[in-house]
Amino acid sequence: MTALAGRQRAFLASIRGREPLPASLARYREQAFAGWHAALSDAYPVVARLVGAAFFAEAARVYAEAFPSSSGDLHAYGEHFADFIAGYPHAADLPWLPDMARLEWALHRAQFAADAPAFDAGALAAVDPERQGAIVLDLHPAVALLRPEWPLVAWWEANQPGRDGTPDEGAAASAGVLITRHEGAAAPHQVDDAEAIALEAWLSGADLASVAQRLGAEADRLPSMLSRLFALGAFAGFRLG
Amino acid sequence: MGAAVGIGLRAPHAAEIARRRPPLAFLEVHSENYFGDGGPALATLDALRRDYDVSLHGVGLSLGSADGVDRGHLARLAALATRVAPRFVSEHLSWSAFGGLHANDLLPLPFDEASVAVVVANIAHVQDVLRRPILVENISAYHAFDGATLAEPQFVAEVVRRAGCGLLLDVNNVYVNACNFGFDATRYFDALEGATIAEIHVAGHERRGGLVVDTHAARVGAEVWALYREAVERFGPRPTLVEWDADLPSLDVLLDEARIAADVAASARAESVAA
Repeated sequence: MTALAGRQRAFLASIRGREPLPASLARYREQAFAGWHAALSDAYPVVARLVGAAFFAEAARVYAEAFPSSSGDLHAYGEHFADFIAGYPHAADLPWLPDMARLEWALHRAQFAADAPAFDAGALAAVDPERQGAIVLDLHPAVALLRPEWPLVAWWEANQPGRDGTPDEGAAASAGVLITRHEGAAAPHQVDDAEAIALEAWLSGADLASVAQRLGAEADRLPSMLSRLFALGAFAGFRLG
Repeated sequence: MGAAVGIGLRAPHAAEIARRRPPLAFLEVHSENYFGDGGPALATLDALRRDYDVSLHGVGLSLGSADGVDRGHLARLAALATRVAPRFVSEHLSWSAFGGLHANDLLPLPFDEASVAVVVANIAHVQDVLRRPILVENISAYHAFDGATLAEPQFVAEVVRRAGCGLLLDVNNVYVNACNFGFDATRYFDALEGATIAEIHVAGHERRGGLVVDTHAARVGAEVWALYREAVERFGPRPTLVEWDADLPSLDVLLDEARIAADVAASARAESVAA
């Protein structure tokens, strides 16, 4: 190892550690942890609001020590935060917190996912009825499906800027949460069990005939389901399988 | 002719700039804010690109890493540069990563031949991949390594000369380092080759305890405007950027800073012509 390499390895170890440092190096420790904390707050604003500033700052510090930044792009930082929270002793009383973190990371990723051309609904309508079963709908690159056990969408909405944190009355857990990016903004949407089954099928590349088969008795809901999911921006295009 | 003045584009100002289209020579963005495959940030940049020249200013490439620059990071930068066709691509004369660990901060290098050799090799690789020369920016620092064999401006000039890249002269960083390390800011310019200076940055700093800290969270200080004037008198006007990254003010404050930069450059030029 060259002298410069040795110095760089030692420098990183010293600012990542907790040993006292001279003021000139302590500033770098402070700046690095402040940068990681800010990146985590940007990706997880609802988690940060729900646990409070002091709790979040300490969790951010322990996370930074446990999961070192591995990219020069801070938008990639925080990927493992949900798993970290799941094992973080101070969050043991907040069993829903890892799922809220998963939801926020999916939203964060959706903001940077690839664009898709506008869906050509006319071309879809023009498919020969005989061949409709072979239509494979492509989900938009920003789409993600979560299956949390909590009414996360209501809690997430209640903690957006301008809201006081009180969820709408009657908020209940849904079978799934669909993340889409529509008109430039990523957002979570509740989906019921049939919609979640269909989305899982589309995520695995299934054609319409096999989606209908997986829906069983609920297959007659496909047209209304499709129109809702289209409106949410879930689809990018289609092909004939 | 005065200097072409631009401002750093920060997300909260993007919509207002798109609506008002203020007269700015260019906008500069942090490259890493546009490393995604798509989405609203890139769409905004694509739209502003139609009205303004754009420069890409990176903070995460780590030109000083002893184990080379990250291939994936460089590939993202190359894709963005192809998409945006920027006026300049710049990075900092610093390091931030080693062995796959990132500090996500601009860390100082020892000022010696070994560092020069590492940085020059890394810049050569980056310029090969991007197929264009880049600019490197002198950084502010709070730590100096023992055993330096070069003074900071000699180090900067040597890297620029051997790498065949341009210099992005940050006069606020010169001022901050002059205060913290006790050297004469104007003497710093003596070591630089004027023809290599392609762009100038000005920004705000703050005094904290015994240190001057490069916060990019305040108006440009009077001493920095004086140093900027001196740089323009010595090297001539250059595209100049007002940087403001934290505690963002209204767009009008940034536009006012840009107007001041243009006025200072114009008056400095006049003095120099008169002399």
